[in-house]
Amino acid sequence: MAPRMNTTRRRVVSQFGVALGAATLGAPFVRHAEAQAKTLVIGGSVPLTGAAAETGLNVNNGYITAVSYMNDVLGGVEIAGEKYKLELKLFDDASDPARATTLIQRQLDEGTNFFLGSFGSNIVLPTAAITDRAKKPMVQTGGGSDAIFTKGYKYVFGMFPRATRQFAATAAMFKALDPKPETYSVIWTNDAFSKTAAEGVRNSCDAAGLKRIEGYELPAKVTDVSSVLGSIRSKTPDLLVCVMHDQDSLLIARQMVATNTNVKLLFQGLGPQLASFREALGKNAEYLCCSTYWDENVSFKDKFFGDSRKFVEYYKSKFTRPIAYHVAGAAACIETYVMAMQAAKSINPEAVRDALAAADFETFYARIKFTPQGDGDELLLGGYIGQVQKGKLEIVFPQAAASAKPLYPSPPWDKKA
Amino acid sequence: MTLVVQTIADGLVLGGIYALAAVGFSLIFGVLHVINLSHGILVLLGAYLALILSGVLHVDPLLTVPLVMAILFALGYVYQRFLIQYAVDGSAFGSILLTFGVALMLQNVMIWLFSPDMKNITPTYAFTSFKLGEISFDAVRVSCLVASLVLLSLLAALLKFSALGRVIRATAQQTMAARLCGVNVRHVYAMTFGVSAAFAGAAGIVIGIVLPFSPADEGTWTLNAFVVVVLGGVGSPAGALIGGLLLGMVSTLTAQYIGPSFPNVTMFLLLVVLLLLRPQGLLGNAFAPSR
Repeated sequence: MAPRMNTTRRRVVSQFGVALGAATLGAPFVRHAEAQAKTLVIGGSVPLTGAAAETGLNVNNGYITAVSYMNDVLGGVEIAGEKYKLELKLFDDASDPARATTLIQRQLDEGTNFFLGSFGSNIVLPTAAITDRAKKPMVQTGGGSDAIFTKGYKYVFGMFPRATRQFAATAAMFKALDPKPETYSVIWTNDAFSKTAAEGVRNSCDAAGLKRIEGYELPAKVTDVSSVLGSIRSKTPDLLVCVMHDQDSLLIARQMVATNTNVKLLFQGLGPQLASFREALGKNAEYLCCSTYWDENVSFKDKFFGDSRKFVEYYKSKFTRPIAYHVAGAAACIETYVMAMQAAKSINPEAVRDALAAADFETFYARIKFTPQGDGDELLLGGYIGQVQKGKLEIVFPQAAASAKPLYPSPPWDKKA
Repeated sequence: MTLVVQTIADGLVLGGIYALAAVGFSLIFGVLHVINLSHGILVLLGAYLALILSGVLHVDPLLTVPLVMAILFALGYVYQRFLIQYAVDGSAFGSILLTFGVALMLQNVMIWLFSPDMKNITPTYAFTSFKLGEISFDAVRVSCLVASLVLLSLLAALLKFSALGRVIRATAQQTMAARLCGVNVRHVYAMTFGVSAAFAGAAGIVIGIVLPFSPADEGTWTLNAFVVVVLGGVGSPAGALIGGLLLGMVSTLTAQYIGPSFPNVTMFLLLVVLLLLRPQGLLGNAFAPSR
């Protein structure tokens, strides 16, 4: 056994010697490569499991798409004359705010200076509180609740207007419909986003001169809406607005069809944007309206990808999952960070924060500009209104971006099928 | 008056679905004394299997019930025999921790296999309804209620009249005596778990037809099953049915007359009241008298 051991030891020593030699010879090249591109870490958490995983995955894919394009296709980004490669340090927060705060605190302790947001106001709010206290910027596309932008945070920026301001464009569209609708009812679920969104619906629709018939609050997890639909059949509004997550929107739409509960227009904040949602409802999805914050056909010039179509092309080369506006919004977060660093000519968190506050950048997603409180500018980032027409989601408002005219009033369910 | 009747009818339909979703949980609790925290996973597994099988075989999702039940029975048998039994042997709380851990793992496996996206099963009659007098019924929900009642009756018949049912009851009532009579108790436990898993799978089909679902929903169905069992009593299809119908009616009546955001409040209030006044549930423990 001893000779074999000696042979092995010799072999190991000789291999180590060869490796050491190679490393020594290669060292200048490694140093050269390092000199070419430093690494810039951006941290955060995303819900890849749990209740928010569906959209969380879209947000995650958006972050990855932008970083991968900047690193692999562009060879890194230049900030203040130095080349940087971006490194994402994202962890699964399992849709759990407590877990997310632990993950973010750990990353802060490890020295991460820049953060991306999770998905869901209930997660973004507590994590933003931590990063703001540490004076580290967070750019996010997952939290729209007013609470994120009204607590005086200076380092938190969102790609959407705050929830109470998100409905202004939709109310403007309602006002422009012919014949003009007169009444509306609103349904929301008992969670941070839906509640503030419903407040926005009430503010905007009331300001637009629409008469509110009823407001219905559902539990956070909905299994049946028959009683609400019974009430809607007895007090039928012209417009029914649902602000909740797509799973609950689908349940409401399905039960409305099955019980033949008709309104002149059904607006569902989240749901009809998704191909799977439209597929599940078949012809009944026709005429449904929703908000959408990005459309690949609306063309903005983009410093990195060129335009939306090229972004979509690159995304499809990396992922088979259908693209959604959250993917684009997440990629825009990365672009916004890089452009802010380039504008600040620095990667100092406080300088980058100031550049973000002063941002006015054109990206494939939209023109990025934040309010003094950090949420997206109401006009520039307020999004579009989509309507399902012939199985496709067409942009029907604002007129400047419209690919089709809004169809109103919608026929009863039994006339659609 | 029509509104009251409509609300009660909606509650009964919803309650039937709750009952089917809970009966497997109830049986395992009654016979094995195991609180199966992975029950919701078995329910969702049934929904996903029905979605796949109805697509592949091009049949109505309700026709996949026998096949889904057979698959879930086999999985349930193996799960109990080779995993849960060891935890039960180890400590009284072992099974709770084990089933909780399995639920977490399988939820992630389901996300990996089926994606976190919501799915739904849409049969041809998905959007039809009919009226009886002034009361309108959603055809999907009613067909699911009928399926639930048929399956609950079959389970009641199995437990009461079949040889397997007799052995399950005997084991639940007097484990030692059953063992002395030559009953292979471990095998009976695994068979019981298999039957329960099969009924959870069948419930999953019904739920998948009625509601959109995703892996994140598993906790909801475990919790609902727990409430139904506490309300109705442990171990019997009748207890699950009573608990389920009660839960369904409380849910719709609260939504109609107190507010749509309050069903959970009244549901858990009822749970607390019943735990204080009648902790064994309305029908009590089906296997308790001989203990």
